[in-house]
Amino acid sequence: MTVVTHPESDVRARQGGTLLSVEHLCKQFPAKSGLVKAVDDVSFTIRRGTIVGLVGESGSGKTTVGRCLLRLIEPSGGRAVFDGVDLFALSERQMRTCRRRLQIVFQDPYSSLNPRLRVEDIISEALDTHGLARGAARRERIAELLTRVGLNPEHARRYPHEFSGGQRQRIGIARALAVEPEFIVADEPVSALDVSVQAQILNLIQDLQQAHGLTMLFIAHDLSVVECLCDEVVVMYLGRVMERGPSRRVYANPRHPYTRALLSTSPVPDPRARRERVVLRGDIPSPLDPPSGCVFRTRCPHAIGACAQVVPPAEAVGPDHVVACIRQAELAA
Amino acid sequence: MTELAADVVLQVEDLRTHFELGRRVAKSVDGVSFSVRRGETVAVVGESGSGKSVTSLSIMRLLAPPGRIIGGRILYRRRDGSMVDIAELPEKAMRAVRGREIAMIFQEPMTSLNPLFTVGDQISEMILLHEPVGRAAARARAKRMLELVEIPAAERRLDDYPHQMSGGMRQRVMIALALACTPSLLIADEPTTALDVTIQAQILDLLRRLQAQIGMSILFVTHNLGVVAEIAHEVVVMYAGRVVEQAPVTRLFERQKHPYTRGLLACIPDASRDRGAAGERLRLNPIPGNVPNVTALPAGCSFAARCPYVVDVCTKDPGPPLVAAEVAHLSRCWRHEAL
Ligand SMILES: Nc1ncnc2c1ncn2[C@@H]1O[C@H](COP(=O)(O)OP(=O)(O)OP(=O)(O)O)[C@@H](O)[C@H]1O
Ligand SMILES: Nc1ncnc2c1ncn2[C@@H]1O[C@H](COP(=O)(O)OP(=O)(O)OP(=O)(O)O)[C@@H](O)[C@H]1O
Ligand SMILES: [Mg+2]
Ligand SMILES: [Mg+2]
Repeated sequence: MTVVTHPESDVRARQGGTLLSVEHLCKQFPAKSGLVKAVDDVSFTIRRGTIVGLVGESGSGKTTVGRCLLRLIEPSGGRAVFDGVDLFALSERQMRTCRRRLQIVFQDPYSSLNPRLRVEDIISEALDTHGLARGAARRERIAELLTRVGLNPEHARRYPHEFSGGQRQRIGIARALAVEPEFIVADEPVSALDVSVQAQILNLIQDLQQAHGLTMLFIAHDLSVVECLCDEVVVMYLGRVMERGPSRRVYANPRHPYTRALLSTSPVPDPRARRERVVLRGDIPSPLDPPSGCVFRTRCPHAIGACAQVVPPAEAVGPDHVVACIRQAELAA
Repeated sequence: MTELAADVVLQVEDLRTHFELGRRVAKSVDGVSFSVRRGETVAVVGESGSGKSVTSLSIMRLLAPPGRIIGGRILYRRRDGSMVDIAELPEKAMRAVRGREIAMIFQEPMTSLNPLFTVGDQISEMILLHEPVGRAAARARAKRMLELVEIPAAERRLDDYPHQMSGGMRQRVMIALALACTPSLLIADEPTTALDVTIQAQILDLLRRLQAQIGMSILFVTHNLGVVAEIAHEVVVMYAGRVVEQAPVTRLFERQKHPYTRGLLACIPDASRDRGAAGERLRLNPIPGNVPNVTALPAGCSFAARCPYVVDVCTKDPGPPLVAAEVAHLSRCWRHEAL
């Protein structure tokens, strides 16, 4: 037997087995006129030591997925098996202990830090709840965390308003790292930042990920950020997964019409780039009353009658590459 | 008054707009010059706090105190061919220009839309305010405007209130409102920043198409260089209240004559550069540090503290002037030749 080593398999071999497996995750929110299907039957896996990007337009359910995984909101259905344990089956008390292993970094560096707390108390909140460090050890740990995210240990006694957006995001990251988690949900951690500062934070995330073997779900709507940072990507639309797979594959060969539209309309800084753009008509439908069958069909340039009849099943089109479109095979041809 | 070149619609000359904040002064716009020709799109690009919005608001004369134009001129060619300096125009005369000849759209549609009136009434009002037509004609025109910005079922949508529409649709209504009197100049301040890329692409397409139809000029304010590459003819790069580089769009993306512009382009994630041959992640190239505070700018060049090309002269006053590094390519850098 010949063993063909593909450059990708190298990278993949160094990464471990599945750390988190999300299966059929659903979340509905009650609304005045019915139920908002914010997340509907979402499944994906994250291998240990990898970064998975979660992309999609506003309202597609990305934040809801992230919050359900940490049980910051209660999922309506499905499982999330983390290192062999279904997080959704844990009691609240069990979940509290488990939360040491899973942390979150929020999108808005301005509203996500309590303005009345000093940086040291923000960072050590989780240390304190889990009774992990006191006195001199606590001070030392805070200084070490601040250094690790590129801040000065002397900043510990200051308040959030004394920092710029990028510095605040570093504080948010230090807070998440305080309890040495294995898994971090980063919910648009750089979206509110200027590009020059965004690159600083992305480098920091990359360094920390390498140094600690962190596993991460990275939520974003900037596709080029995800392409540079993430090992795999999950594309959501209106609460559902349209396509998922290794980033290189999905970006080089997007198979879902929605992924193609997203990639072709994401602006690139090159005025000479003459791309064939798929400009979608219309707006995202209301999640209160999503279209039947494929939820994307109302904006899809390739929709046919059958698309309204069945919810497209997830079909494998390559290693770990899955597409939910009944026409994917003929469209690829 | 000096003559404007025949095809120039707007010429900003050494504009200075400051905010007096107690004992400190925010020099938000400090000596900005550029011009916009007929049918041309000029993009003003720069990071948060660089003075893009203060520049647009100065041109619209919509600054709120303590913001004040303390120097420079804003020459504008009116539709009748006469020339005015907006910086000195009495408010009454400005009202005939604002909304009618120069219109503005914002990032947040609700800054221009009134939640209490239907979109049809708002567009009709705008037309009635500036033109001698009757109600029925104004409403018919409002409907045509909604069709122009591709709102489906325009007749029915006229009677909708803004909150009944999606974000992208509200943005299009705001554009319809801005274009109702066929302005010569449209100032668009981050009109697509809050929108998803698919909706952003619709709006950019729409603006390009309308520009070709109406022949208006656009001053497009954004921090997104990807959007600049798609829409601009000419690019003005701002940093800490000043223009640091200006050039035609293809030229600017090809070769930068200011280290800030070069740094901005280098730090945008780009997998063809930021991934290795085997797909491994490489580090990005951030610009170190942060944008300086415009109430306490350092001596010399404002970018010196973050600049990889810095030399002694850069941190001394007076700072570098904006000079032609090449034909039609301006740079405010002592070392533009070394770049
Ligand atoms: N607490 C809530 N109550 C009711 N509906 C909600 C709630 N939270 C979210 N939703 C709805 O669920 C859907 C998914 O929202 P979510 O915030 O997860 O989207 P997202 O992909 O994170 O969007 P964005 O890019 O704007 O952050 C939206 O339609 C939203 O309005
Ligand atoms: N009303 C105000 N009072 C005091 N300072 C102000 C005021 N408005 C603007 N400034 C200051 O002027 C500078 C330029 O602001 P401006 O809003 O023009 O930035 P911008 O380039 O539009 O940034 P952004 O990308 O964040 O919109 C900033 O430093 C800001 O703090
Ligand atoms: Mg979100
Ligand atoms: Mg602004």
